[in-house]
Amino acid sequence: MPRINEKVSYWMLVAPALAIMVIFYIVPVLGIWKIAFTEPETGVANFVAMAGSNAVKTSFIITFRVAAITTIGCLILGYIVAYAISNFASKFTPLMVALVILPFWVSVLIRSFSWIVLLGRSGIVNDTLKGAGLIDAPLRLMHNETGVLIAMIHVMLPFAILPMLTNMRGISGAYVQAARSLGASEWTAFRQVYFPQTMPGVMSGALLVFVLSLGFFVTPALLGGGRVLMISEYITYQIQEFLNWGLGSALSVALLIATALVLLIAARFVNLRSALLERK
Amino acid sequence: MTDTTDFEAKRDIAEIAVERYKQGRLTRRGFVAAMGALGVLPALGSKAHAQAKEIIVVNWGGAAKDVLQEVLCDTYTAETGIPVIVDGSGPSAGKIRAMVESGAVVWDLCDSGAGSAIILEQQGMTQPIDYSIVDKSKVLEGTAYKNGVGNYVYSYVLATNPKMLGGNVPQTWEDVWNVKDFPGMRTFRKSVRGQLECATMAQGVPLNEVYEALGTQDGINAAIAKFRELRENIIVWGSGSDSQNLFLQEEVAIGNIWSTRAHLLKDQMDKDAFNVSFNGGVIAPGIWVVPKGNPAGTEETMKFIAHGQKPELQVKWLEMIGSGPVNPEAAELVPAELAPYNPSSPENLATQILYNDEWYAKNQIAAEELYVDALIN
Repeated sequence: MPRINEKVSYWMLVAPALAIMVIFYIVPVLGIWKIAFTEPETGVANFVAMAGSNAVKTSFIITFRVAAITTIGCLILGYIVAYAISNFASKFTPLMVALVILPFWVSVLIRSFSWIVLLGRSGIVNDTLKGAGLIDAPLRLMHNETGVLIAMIHVMLPFAILPMLTNMRGISGAYVQAARSLGASEWTAFRQVYFPQTMPGVMSGALLVFVLSLGFFVTPALLGGGRVLMISEYITYQIQEFLNWGLGSALSVALLIATALVLLIAARFVNLRSALLERK
Repeated sequence: MTDTTDFEAKRDIAEIAVERYKQGRLTRRGFVAAMGALGVLPALGSKAHAQAKEIIVVNWGGAAKDVLQEVLCDTYTAETGIPVIVDGSGPSAGKIRAMVESGAVVWDLCDSGAGSAIILEQQGMTQPIDYSIVDKSKVLEGTAYKNGVGNYVYSYVLATNPKMLGGNVPQTWEDVWNVKDFPGMRTFRKSVRGQLECATMAQGVPLNEVYEALGTQDGINAAIAKFRELRENIIVWGSGSDSQNLFLQEEVAIGNIWSTRAHLLKDQMDKDAFNVSFNGGVIAPGIWVVPKGNPAGTEETMKFIAHGQKPELQVKWLEMIGSGPVNPEAAELVPAELAPYNPSSPENLATQILYNDEWYAKNQIAAEELYVDALIN
C-alpha cells in the first residue's frame, strides 16, 4: 500500500464535509449576496433603501436587544444548572443531563406553542394566579417582548448549559480544595479560583446562544404579537409579502455582517481560540 | 404597476373550507375527494390538456376547490352535460402569463384578483368578458372590468367580543381608537390592506372620501399616526387563522378581520361573545379572468361564468365557506340567520367601501414600510 502523506490524508478526511458546506451552503449564500446587489437593478440601491428605513433600524435594535437579553438570561440560569450538575456528584447526574438534552427532542415550534398555552390571557399561568387571588386582571405575558424573552430563554438554555457543563466537568476539584486549605473563604475560592476556569465555557455558551438568537424566527413570530419584529421575520416579510428579493437579501447580508462584527468585537475582549477550541 | 392581488386572502379561503369540514359543514365524500385530488394535483395539471367541451377552472386549492366543484361546476355539468374540472394550483398572474406566452394554455377560467386582472389586461394576456353572455347587472358595481368580472366577495369587518367588553361594544372605528371607553387589546392585519381605511375613518372621514383622503401623503401619514397612537393595544394577525385564534383564546376583544373568518367564529364562539359589524368595512372582490387562447373557447367559458352568477348558487357558496355573493340579487335568498354575515347584503353594502386596487398599486409598498415602523418603533 502506498504511503499517503499526512497532509493528503488530512484533506481527504475533511473533503466530504467541506464539499457539502460549499455546495449546499456557501454557493447558495453567495447567490443571495448576488441578489442583494442585482435586484431589481445592479447597484447598492437595496442597501441605500435599507439604511434609510426606520423600520429596518428598529428591527435591528430589537433583534440585538432580544439576543443580548436572552444570552444573559441563559448564562445566569445555565451556569447555576451546570454548576449544580458538575459539582454535586449524585446518582441523579445522568438524569439531570438527560433533562437538559430532552427539549431537543421536541421541535421549537411545539415548544413555542406550548408557551402560548401557558402565557395566554386565559392560559395556565394567568388562571393559576387569578385562582390564587394574586391578580385581578390577566397579566400581559405574551404578544410582547416579555413573552418572546421567556420563550427564547427556554429554547436557548440547553445551548448555554452544554458547553459550560463540558467545561466544568473538566475542572479538577483540587484547585478549589487547595484554595480552601490555604484559608480562602468558599466565596473567594469560587470567585478567584473556580470562576476564571469556567470562562471558556461561559464564552462559548454566550456566543452560541447569541448568534443563534440573532437569526431566530419561530418564537418571536409566534409570541411577539407582530410588534417584536426580529430581522429574520422582516426578511421573510419582504420576500413573501412583496416578493422583494433584493431588499430581503440585502437585509440578510446586513445581518451576517452585523453578526461577524459582534464576533470581532468579542474577539478583542476574549480569546476566542481558547474559548471555542480548547475547552478545558 | 405592481400586482395588488391578495393571494393570502385567497389561500385563506381554501383553508376555511378545511375548517368547515372539521365542523361538519362540508360533506365527507367531497372532502376526501378533494384531499385525494390534492395529492395528484401535478398529475392533474399535466393531464388537464382540455379536450373540447371540457372546462378547466382554476382556484387556490385546499378544500375550497371542492366547494367550487360542488357548487358551480357539478351543477353546470348536470345542466349542460359539459364536464367542468377544478384545478387548485393557484392561478397567479405570473403563471397565467407564462402559460399564455408559451402558447400552452390549459386553463379556461381563473380565480384572480382585481390587481392581477388589470395587469394581465395591460399585458394582453386575458380575453375581454363578453357582457352579452355574462350579465353586468349581476355583479357588484365596480367589479365588472373589461377583462375580468367579480366572482365572490369578502370584507374587512369590525369584529368584537361583547362579553369581554362587558356589553359595551364599539360601533365605529372611532370607538375602536377610544381606548378609555373600550379597553382591551385590538387586532389588525400585519399589512396595510383594509387597515389604513379604518384608521382614516377613525379620524372622522366619511366613507366615500376615504381613498380621496388616503390619496395624499398627508392622508397616509395621518392614518399611520393613528396606528402609532394605538399600538400599545395592538396585536397583529399574520394569517386568517391567527385572527381567528386571537378571538377564540380571548386575547383580543376587538379586531379588523376577514368576514370569512368571522363566519367561522360566529359558530365557534358563544352567541354573546362574538359580534360583527360591517359598519366601515372594506369589501374586496375576487375576479374571474379568462386566459387568451383558452382550450374550451370564449363562448363556453362565458356561459359558465354566467351560470355562476345565479343567486341560488352564490348563496350556497356563502353558506359553505362564507364568501359573499358578488350578485346583489342573491341577498334576498340568504337565510335570515346568515344575512348579518353577508358582505353584500344591501344593509351591509351601504356601510362599506370597495377595496381600491389602484390605490394599492400606487401606494402599498411605501405604506407598508411606514406601517411596520409605526407598530414597532
